[in-house]
Amino acid sequence: MAPAAMSGLMPAQPVKDDIDNTWQYVQSGITRIMTNLQGGVDMGTYMGIYTAVHNFCTSQKAVGISAVSNISTGQSHRGAHLLGEDLYKKLTEYLTAHLKQLVVESRAHTDEALLAFYIREWHRYTVAAKYIHHLFRYLNRHWVKREMDEGKKQVYDVYTLHLVRWRDVLFAEVSGKVMDAVLKLVEKQRNGETIEYNQIKQVVDSFVSLGLDEGDSTKITLDVYRFHFERPFLDATKAFYQNESKQFVAENSVVEYMKKAEARLDEEEERVKMYLHPDIGIPLKKACNQVLIAEHSAILRDEFQVLLDNDREEDMARMYSLLSRIPDGLEPLRAKFEAHVRKAGLAAVAKVASDVDKLEPKVYVDALLEIHTQYQGLVKRAFTDEPEFTRSLDNACREFVNRNDVCKSGTNKSPELLAKYTDILLRKSSTGVEEAELENTLTQIMTVFKYIEDKDVFQKYYARMLARRLVHSNSSSDDAETSMISKLKEACGFEYTNKLQRMFQDMQISKDLNAGFKEHVAALSGPKGLDSSYSILGTGFWPLTAPNTTFDPPAEIDKDCQLFSRFYRNKHEGRKLTWLWQLCKGEVKATYIKNAKMPYTFQVSIYQMAVLLLFNEKDKITYEEIASTTQLNNEALDPSLNILLKAKVLNVSPEGAKPGPNATFGLNYDFKNKKFRVNLNVGMKSETKQEEAETNKTIEEDRKLLLQSAIVRIMKARKRMKHQQLVSETINQIRQRFVPKVSDIKKCIEILLDKEYLERLDDDDLGYLA
Amino acid sequence: MAENKDKSTQKVTLASNDGHHIEVERCVAERSILIKNMLEDVGDEVVGNDAIPIPNVNDQVLRKVVEWCEKHKHDAPQTQEEENDNRKKTTEIEEWDQKFMQVDQEMLFEIILAANYLDIKALLDVGCKTVANMIKGKSPEEIRKTFNITNDFTAEEEEQIRRENEWAEDR
Repeated sequence: MAPAAMSGLMPAQPVKDDIDNTWQYVQSGITRIMTNLQGGVDMGTYMGIYTAVHNFCTSQKAVGISAVSNISTGQSHRGAHLLGEDLYKKLTEYLTAHLKQLVVESRAHTDEALLAFYIREWHRYTVAAKYIHHLFRYLNRHWVKREMDEGKKQVYDVYTLHLVRWRDVLFAEVSGKVMDAVLKLVEKQRNGETIEYNQIKQVVDSFVSLGLDEGDSTKITLDVYRFHFERPFLDATKAFYQNESKQFVAENSVVEYMKKAEARLDEEEERVKMYLHPDIGIPLKKACNQVLIAEHSAILRDEFQVLLDNDREEDMARMYSLLSRIPDGLEPLRAKFEAHVRKAGLAAVAKVASDVDKLEPKVYVDALLEIHTQYQGLVKRAFTDEPEFTRSLDNACREFVNRNDVCKSGTNKSPELLAKYTDILLRKSSTGVEEAELENTLTQIMTVFKYIEDKDVFQKYYARMLARRLVHSNSSSDDAETSMISKLKEACGFEYTNKLQRMFQDMQISKDLNAGFKEHVAALSGPKGLDSSYSILGTGFWPLTAPNTTFDPPAEIDKDCQLFSRFYRNKHEGRKLTWLWQLCKGEVKATYIKNAKMPYTFQVSIYQMAVLLLFNEKDKITYEEIASTTQLNNEALDPSLNILLKAKVLNVSPEGAKPGPNATFGLNYDFKNKKFRVNLNVGMKSETKQEEAETNKTIEEDRKLLLQSAIVRIMKARKRMKHQQLVSETINQIRQRFVPKVSDIKKCIEILLDKEYLERLDDDDLGYLA
Repeated sequence: MAENKDKSTQKVTLASNDGHHIEVERCVAERSILIKNMLEDVGDEVVGNDAIPIPNVNDQVLRKVVEWCEKHKHDAPQTQEEENDNRKKTTEIEEWDQKFMQVDQEMLFEIILAANYLDIKALLDVGCKTVANMIKGKSPEEIRKTFNITNDFTAEEEEQIRRENEWAEDR
């Protein structure tokens, strides 16, 4: 079954089972391919070489039919003996000799000429390798496949064999010099010269192709490339930039250096895209980051303070982007930034805090806000709103909002002033504020509120002032009030605003109630009563206390009050009404004044009203008489009289006397005022001072309760806890309201132990008693 | 795409070793990986000018091979995995191929050798499966008869082989 004999049409075929004869024939063909491919290969030669290889491999007589069937099933590992090893060896020797010759030739070239030589020969060699691979396909299909299936390591398909020989013979010898030439070329480019970078790209491709996976020739590894190209390339890059940056820093400013470094980093990234293997991208970036940034990070950071002091936003952004490229690069900046913002905040407060007592709430809050706005802008523009920088900003703001010159005079100052500013904004005022602007300002208030540690203090002041706005109905708008409450609710939860909301509801309910009362009175047949209006305020929700004086209201008032009380009791049986006289007010018409075109109307407190109504009976009344009729104590009576005297509604004798025993009062019939409505119901300074003191006192008490309830809540859930754990858990829960002192918590635990909510157990444990 | 189509219907000439020429479409000739690789390697300017010499195949066999290639010119090339699966599992042969292989034994082996030489895997498979089916179910003596093989084992050798393969016998 041997192949048919050769005919005269073909180039003379070698003797098929003679290796030397066969190889001679094959070699003359592949030499032409290797050295003179551009001359072309005719089909006769091509088919001739293939046939010679085929014939050699199928020549031995023992191979016959059985060999063919074995080969075709490709399974049997024993059995037929395949020929080809001799040819394979000859080819290997041939390639080795060819490459050795090239090594000799390469010595004639250096630098760019060497690159050109390497690339030319590589190209020629690999193209030829593809041809020869095809010509030896029969060898590949049978002998090589068999050897590889049997696990022989040093046998490759013919194309791979070419690469292996190139790597082991030529590459091992010249790759160092080629790489030197590459690096010289790159350095030239880094120094601004134009280079033929395509050459480098081809060298890279060649090095990558030589990364053969010993286990699987169909795969490529980057090992060869990494070792022979990437490693020296990175080393050279580091050396170059180390040198350059050192020199540049010595001769230029830090800002100039940052620009330079930025440009160099971009350039290197571009270089990867232009002619390097993408695999080098990350290590090259790392190497550049190291030498261009990390090794100069100290001087960069030192410059940061200067940039901060001079508001050099653009340069700070530049520094941020540079330092963000190295590990832990930004942490020192954040620390500096935080310290700087805190200092700026403290300075801004110090500037306005020369006289704390006269400090306008608006001035104070604006000072805080200005610093926050300024540096929030910086974080956004220069630090890309990075969360960690935002945290530094928050830390700094929390510091200067809660601990500054103003707070020295009283730790509750910040929440107090903030609440007061809010009150000013929400109160009816002559200077009308646009609704949108008001909303805007309230949002800013919330910015500061976020930083306030003693949120409970704010709550206290806010509740008190809201109560005043509601009772005196001088709130600027219900919408603004609701909006503010919902903002607080969003920030601190339902519990925080519960009372505020109830106060709001009470006012609504009272409105309906008054309407009902009016109808009720109209239905009664009798003399027309007073034009009165009542507010029912839930005891637990309003920060109000019963008056600290006794009071007998004037008969007219008393009658109306009784009427209302009956009406109310009828509606809600069992509810107790307490009159908060100190909050009541009304208007009286003064018809007695001479020379008045129109009677004056006085807006007065109910205490003042009680005093003035006495003059319906008499012209002169002594202090003692007033006191006994109204039943007011002097703490309530004296200020009321004082205002009436000051406004010259009343005269006193002896002249210039202060309200008190032995003073006698009379009406001033010559009273004059530009306005016909005169407001005499003005609070006294001392009154508000007193209020503040009271508020502060209640805060301390409320905190104790808050702490105790938190402790009980925790213990109820956990049943048993270590003392230390309980303390820290309590701090965690309470922190949103205020920052509790550990000693206070301990005191509260003691109280709860005494009250037998808790018990002491072994091992410093506490237990919950239901 | 258009260029590919032109190329596949382009005519090429095959020259058998006994001097006969056969003109076929390029895509038919390219069922042979040898010819396919060569046409790509030598380049278009050479293709079409000369006949492609096929030094190891005579006219009679080449015509048979070309007939098969014509029939199968539109077959999708097998993937590596399919190849491994199919070849191992079955000895089934398509009807057309079965008829095609109904030739005398000498021609059958000539076709197999040519397919191996020209690197036409599918044809080689069909050929080998045909031979396999000829062996299937036959005793050694019958096989020897079928393929005209002289028994060159000694009696002892034969006994030993039988013992070694006893486990595989049908009982």
